[in-house]
Amino acid sequence: MNKSLAEKFYYYMKLGREFELRAKEEYMKGNIGGFLHLAIGEEGTHVGAILGFGNGEFFVHYRDHVYAIARGISPKLLMAELFGKITGVSKGKGGSMHFYSSKFNFYGGNAIVGAHIPHAVGLAYAKKYLGKSDGVMVAFGDGSTNSGNFYESLNLAAVYQVPLLFFCENNYYAIGTRIDRVSAFKDLYKKAKDYMIAIQIDGMDVFEVYRAVSLAKEYIQEEGKPYFIEALTYRYESHSMSDSGDYRSPRELKIAKEKDPIDNLLKKAFKESLLTKEFVEEIDRKVEIEIEEAVEFALNSKEPDLEELYKDIFCED
Amino acid sequence: MDYEITMPRLTDTMESGVIVRWLKSEGDYVKKNEPVVEIETEKAIQEVPAFKDGILKKILAEEGQEVDVGKPIAILEITKEVPITSPPKTQEEEISVKVEEKITPEIVEEASKIGEQIQQQTQAVKEALASPYAKKLSADFGFPLKELQEKGEIPSPAHEKDIREYLYSQYIDKDTLKDLKQYSINIDKLIKDLQGNLSKDNIYRYIKENNIYKLSDIPIFQKRLIEHLSKSATVPTFHIYEAINLKNILDKKEFTITTYILKIFADVMQNHYRTRIYYGNGKYRIYPSSNISVAIAVDEELFSPVIKNIEDKSLKNIQEQLQILREKAQDRKFDPEDFEGGTFSISNLGMFGIDMFDAIIPYNYSGIAAIGIEKNGYVNIVFSFDHRIINGKDAALFVKELKEKFDDVEYIESLK
Amino acid sequence: MLYRDALKKAIDELMEIDDTIVILGEDVGFYGGNYRVTDGLFSKYGEKRVIDTPIAENSIVGNAIGMAFGGLRPVVEIMTVNFSLLAYDQIVNQLAKIRYMSGGDICIPLTIRMPQGVAKQLAAQHSQSFERIFASIPGLKVFTASDSITAYYGLKQAILSDDPVIFLEHLLLYSQDFLFYEINDFDITKQRIVKSGENITLVSCLKILHDSLEAVKEVEKKLGITVEVIELTSLSPLNLDLVYESVKKTKRLVVVSEEPKTGSFTSEIITKVMENCFYYLDAPPLRITAEDTPTPYNRKLELFSIPTPDKIATKIINWGREHGL
Ligand SMILES: Cc1ncc(C[n+]2csc(CCOP(=O)(O)OP(=O)(O)O)c2C)c(N)n1
Ligand SMILES: [Mg+2]
Repeated sequence: MNKSLAEKFYYYMKLGREFELRAKEEYMKGNIGGFLHLAIGEEGTHVGAILGFGNGEFFVHYRDHVYAIARGISPKLLMAELFGKITGVSKGKGGSMHFYSSKFNFYGGNAIVGAHIPHAVGLAYAKKYLGKSDGVMVAFGDGSTNSGNFYESLNLAAVYQVPLLFFCENNYYAIGTRIDRVSAFKDLYKKAKDYMIAIQIDGMDVFEVYRAVSLAKEYIQEEGKPYFIEALTYRYESHSMSDSGDYRSPRELKIAKEKDPIDNLLKKAFKESLLTKEFVEEIDRKVEIEIEEAVEFALNSKEPDLEELYKDIFCED
Repeated sequence: MDYEITMPRLTDTMESGVIVRWLKSEGDYVKKNEPVVEIETEKAIQEVPAFKDGILKKILAEEGQEVDVGKPIAILEITKEVPITSPPKTQEEEISVKVEEKITPEIVEEASKIGEQIQQQTQAVKEALASPYAKKLSADFGFPLKELQEKGEIPSPAHEKDIREYLYSQYIDKDTLKDLKQYSINIDKLIKDLQGNLSKDNIYRYIKENNIYKLSDIPIFQKRLIEHLSKSATVPTFHIYEAINLKNILDKKEFTITTYILKIFADVMQNHYRTRIYYGNGKYRIYPSSNISVAIAVDEELFSPVIKNIEDKSLKNIQEQLQILREKAQDRKFDPEDFEGGTFSISNLGMFGIDMFDAIIPYNYSGIAAIGIEKNGYVNIVFSFDHRIINGKDAALFVKELKEKFDDVEYIESLK
Repeated sequence: MLYRDALKKAIDELMEIDDTIVILGEDVGFYGGNYRVTDGLFSKYGEKRVIDTPIAENSIVGNAIGMAFGGLRPVVEIMTVNFSLLAYDQIVNQLAKIRYMSGGDICIPLTIRMPQGVAKQLAAQHSQSFERIFASIPGLKVFTASDSITAYYGLKQAILSDDPVIFLEHLLLYSQDFLFYEINDFDITKQRIVKSGENITLVSCLKILHDSLEAVKEVEKKLGITVEVIELTSLSPLNLDLVYESVKKTKRLVVVSEEPKTGSFTSEIITKVMENCFYYLDAPPLRITAEDTPTPYNRKLELFSIPTPDKIATKIINWGREHGL
């Protein structure tokens, strides 16, 4: 454990959280529309995984904001995307669920549950074929581990022996349905363990996530084989901006919040003198400014011209 | 710094929300993410947090109020300092309007541009074209469509309408045809039935024989009148008939009889407050002054503007007012106030030689007086009263005093 | 009556009298359904009859087919049509064909309910309309519900049918309150006249039908004519007798849909009208559809990509003026 890592963790987690809180606010003001899936509470999982994985290619489902931020994509481009502006990372055509940036090896932002997992197997295959060594990581929710896409991908990744990290963020719920009501296993890593090495970790602890993912990265690169991590985490907010039913008890939410990943990090880091109060305050200020600038950028950016509707359908336009 | 709390959008389709309960009061300190208000949406009641630390300076929307998404509901003064006492109230802030969807006009414009382009493209084509139905129709009638189009007698592309117009013009002269369009008539059938003999006379005889009616649109003013009258017809009404003595007025040349009648009515109304009542929204509106509407007919239209405060006006003034209203009626240029405030009405058909008639009370007025022709120094007046406002006894007393005033020479002479 | 309540009423009334009817889908049970159509049914009928499934559309439909083999009458809810593509094999290769392949031996009384359409800024993967995708598959009945009347009577007819039915709903209709009254001889396969008129026949369904009705007011005012509006309640079987009758009277056809234009189901309607009413047409039929593009997230572009009341009115007025109205 070192100081600079702890500093990075704090910066990205704080940036991710403030970004989403602000996105929530802007949604309520009507500046953002559609579905807005927030990952508040899951920052330890998202930031730890991205930083732990380092270089390489990355796929995720629609709960993609904090991953994109940890990946280093500018909050300005992301906020502008949420505002539907032409300056957004997907030109305002994708919105919250569809952040794409090939420059950052970030392949979405997919809104069809489980559909991106086979893509990751395919990309890992291509990497292996082309002799490139960076691995591929695919993040997905607990809900997708019951789909055919998931099982087919486990099998094929093992058959092809590709450098792919399956990263399952188990927040226990798929919308309003708790995982144990629709899955034969509550411990999801068990679904993978006959195909590859599969482990379960505490996703509320960014250090643990980071450590597990970086070890996994080493493994897939050196062995050229797939690997499976299940991170246990929790989303504080509704599935999207609103849930239409009650399915979680306030008590459950309270217990989860006691393990808040940011508080958790600070507690540990202060105890081991990895972070100082001054540093944290400085980051808070910096983050506040960055978010303010991102919103300003989004507000001041133009909407796409109407012709944009017909663009980007084919490469040859 | 002030920060506006706006009605949040809590669901994908939410357009407005209702304030259920404020969880904080004005002057309270609110921490970021702490719930401040409960909002009801179509789906549920939700708590909405503050997005900044600060003092709840002003609540703009009350509990129970429905507010559009994006409209301000409160003002927060951003500060990190928790106040010890409640802060001094500052002046209300100008409130900026919500972020709207400024889409439609642009899109409509774009869409109509595209429409224009299409139109231009198609206008360029000048071949002899016709719709399938136009072709079928001209074949049925047996005329050479293409030839006629080339001669310019039928336009291209030709539609049903063009074929029919051409066909009809072959049989029926232009003016008659134009007139026929006002009738509920099947011209195809007419042509068939009258085979060959489509002279004007013959056509109109055919219309009469077959009892074919003319369809007339009802002008807006008439529609409004119909609406009004239909409502009046539902009102419980009773009538009083009385012959009134005009002898004391007839020799007065300076002012018209109507002017005198208005003045005398107004004076008497002062002693009978129920004639000064307008029945509105389940309540009586009792006017202090005598405001009488007079029916003025111009061509087919009927107006009933109101002259107000007549009891305080001189005869000269009343006469001028009447003149102004008649001019306004000619130009159909009234001000909205001209129709407001009336409680009683006067209608006069005497000039048409009518002896006695019965008028309908303007909706929610207390009554109306229908005045017939003067004979031997007397006029017949039929009073109609709205029983919801005035009862028989009060009405009788009102009419009785009127009658007495018309007989009272001294009083009439004192009028100025 | 709320549209969603009309759907629930239909399901609930049938479940009460027929215990072979079961519901299955994502979040339909304990949670009460993402659009609250099945709210309350879980506690009323229990988890054996209101089955929460995982996110596994192919299995949901596949299992339902098996249940039907076993004598049950399943009502499937797929969260939106977009996800039905994950079950498209079960729907097309299995559901639509089994009765035929078995020489009529096996009936599959199964209904798949699902909403479609552009809601608000849900982007390309969540905004599709699939009339053409299902109505072009022989062996499937395809019904639509545009208001609480078709929702209630139509869904009942679908569930009671011994054949597989795709039952299309629209995302934006669930919370709408529609006039509801009793009808004795409702038959969803006949289509429905929702407004009569003399000069144009307009055919549409689902949410865009309501946008069209709004547009029609403007069209009638501007052109001084009247428009007959027909709700397309059954895409398969496609009985268009009402439409033919109407077009023979009005001589003009407009079809409005939220599908992208090329290959949309509007083409099928127009072709059939051409085949049956060619000599009665006084104008080329007008198609008003979404653009041939995926649906963008940005609201301005999104509205630009689909027909809106204003655009529908402008298009019909321009077209009418150009073609002899
Ligand atoms: C194939 C498919 N079916 C259904 C949906 C609707 N849906 C969107 S998110 C979601 C729940 C997914 O839960 P999970 O995978 O656990 O991810 P989380 O939302 O918890 O991050 C569902 C069912 C979908 N998007 N795709
Ligand atoms: Mg989940």
